[in-house]
Amino acid sequence: MEYDVQQLIRLAAFIGGGVSMGLGAIGAAIGEGYTASEANMAISRNPKQAGNIFKTMLVGQAVAESASIFALVIAILLLFADISGAGLLKAVCFLSAGICMGFGAIGPGIGGGLAAGEACTGMARQPKASNRLTSSMLLGSAVCQTSAIYAMAVSLIMMFIGFGNAPLNPTWAAFLGAGLSTGLAAIGSGIGEGLTAKACCEGIARQPTSASNVTASMLVGQAVAETPAIFGLLISMILIFGSYAETTLLSPSIALISAGLATGFGCIGPGIGSGIVSGEGVRWIARNFEHTGLLTRTMLVAQAISQSTAIYAMVISLILIFVM
Amino acid sequence: MAIEGADLIKAAAFLGAGLAMGLGAIGPGIGEGMIGAKTCEAVGRNPKEAGLLTRTMLVGQAVSESTGIYALVVALLLLFVV
Amino acid sequence: MNELGKLHQLIVPFFGHNITINIEVVIMTWIVFIALIIFGWLAARKRERFPNSMQVIGELLVSKLYGLTEDALDKKLAKKYGPFICALFMFLVLANWLGIIPHLEEPTKDLNTPLSLGLMGFVISHYAGIKAKGIKVYLKNYFDPIFFMMPLNVIGELSKVVSISFRLFGNVMGGSIIILVVSYLTYNLFLPPFLNVFFGLFVGTIQAFVFTMLTVVYISVQVK
Repeated sequence: MEYDVQQLIRLAAFIGGGVSMGLGAIGAAIGEGYTASEANMAISRNPKQAGNIFKTMLVGQAVAESASIFALVIAILLLFADISGAGLLKAVCFLSAGICMGFGAIGPGIGGGLAAGEACTGMARQPKASNRLTSSMLLGSAVCQTSAIYAMAVSLIMMFIGFGNAPLNPTWAAFLGAGLSTGLAAIGSGIGEGLTAKACCEGIARQPTSASNVTASMLVGQAVAETPAIFGLLISMILIFGSYAETTLLSPSIALISAGLATGFGCIGPGIGSGIVSGEGVRWIARNFEHTGLLTRTMLVAQAISQSTAIYAMVISLILIFVM
Repeated sequence: MAIEGADLIKAAAFLGAGLAMGLGAIGPGIGEGMIGAKTCEAVGRNPKEAGLLTRTMLVGQAVSESTGIYALVVALLLLFVV
Repeated sequence: MNELGKLHQLIVPFFGHNITINIEVVIMTWIVFIALIIFGWLAARKRERFPNSMQVIGELLVSKLYGLTEDALDKKLAKKYGPFICALFMFLVLANWLGIIPHLEEPTKDLNTPLSLGLMGFVISHYAGIKAKGIKVYLKNYFDPIFFMMPLNVIGELSKVVSISFRLFGNVMGGSIIILVVSYLTYNLFLPPFLNVFFGLFVGTIQAFVFTMLTVVYISVQVK
């Protein structure tokens, strides 16, 4: 069977676009469904606030949707990409751009939905705090989307990068690994930050006077829960911008792919775990805000230690890239 | 691309190392997170015992991290010994 | 984008081995040192009952960090290790903030700086442990719960150094890569200053605090 390079690139771009939008729809759908169900519960609890809750639900869903819209943008760019004069590496780039954005949109979609749902519940519980709730929810779910933005940045770079005369054999694996690393790592951080934002909304609804303390500690917790996604991005960038010697062997390419897999998978758990910690920390700062400093300290130490496995995964990836 | 025996074994070892560390990091991450969450709750309920609670948390997290360290050891063995 | 991975190195031949010295990192580290010394001099120059602003900042920092150390260790040990903790935190904060000034780079962006600070904390915590518990109890801890767990316990201790130093390195390096990538994608319009503030000031401070807290925690685990 004869393969035409142009056809192969077109094929890869179409598969990439499909993967991007297909996987990218998972997170937003789950998140928005959760928001809607919480909003319904909230309205049944407090029907007088129905208008307000409905508005908050729509706004929150719009934010949770944004990760999915990034996936749509990447998919459309892939479908109509300009492929004239490109080599086989471009095919791998298109495919892994799709994979990266697709996986990367799952976590932030779910996370944004969690925050928005809890904001609706909180509004039914404490209608007076609704302005405060809306603004904190928007802030929290906007921070959730940052890991999707990392995935989009990596996808865009892979779509528009020029290769010079990079050798085909190990480089294709580097791009595939880069896509997997950022994409998978964004899942954990997205969900974790969503859990934090959810706890923040719950805390404000329970104790509106603590709102400023709670919002500040939510941002701190989210910044730390973001770390695994940053590790994923770091490995991706090292993989994309590294220079590789040409080889006919299989093992160097497999080393690069599994570097991406190690950091990608390894950052899912720590991202979720540190999100659980900061969620609980924020929840208790709301209840007991005289001890904000103590709780923030405990939360930071616990988050940092729950991320150590992500760091081991990053070290294994660095060894795979630089030593092997 | 000519794939030979030694090359294939090396490639499989690399893939195994990556997967071992990657998948092995998921469980300890979530587990340590749960320990940390409960400690935050306990500190919130009883701030006076924060020092004791933090030490207990550290011991618990060290134990639940040991599976992550096993994964690290296996990955390093796959990379450097096999 | 090509500045990723660009290093300014000085290679010194030394008994047959080539020692590479990262000049940029050395210069940046010395800038942090000098800034810290100037700050210390300004804060302690005139110690008055109604302090000037520099003295207030200095006293606030030192008392807060001493308080943290006292919470984790006891009073006597805090007096011993407090100065180290204060110095560590101030150095790390200033080092992480350095990147927001154009043409300067964070010394923590190079793996060598966090790794050496992590090793320092590791050595100090084990010294404290031996001093507090005696060498016998200290060694016995490695054979907990069963004797054949010894190699894994040793790896567990060593991996603490890896995790503490790679955490700082990964965050600072990742932050600066994100700033670089976004600046490239947006043609340096609008977004980079905000990212600089977020990653330089906010994440930098949090990570410096996390590093310091973990060092205190490692000491307290060894001592208790």
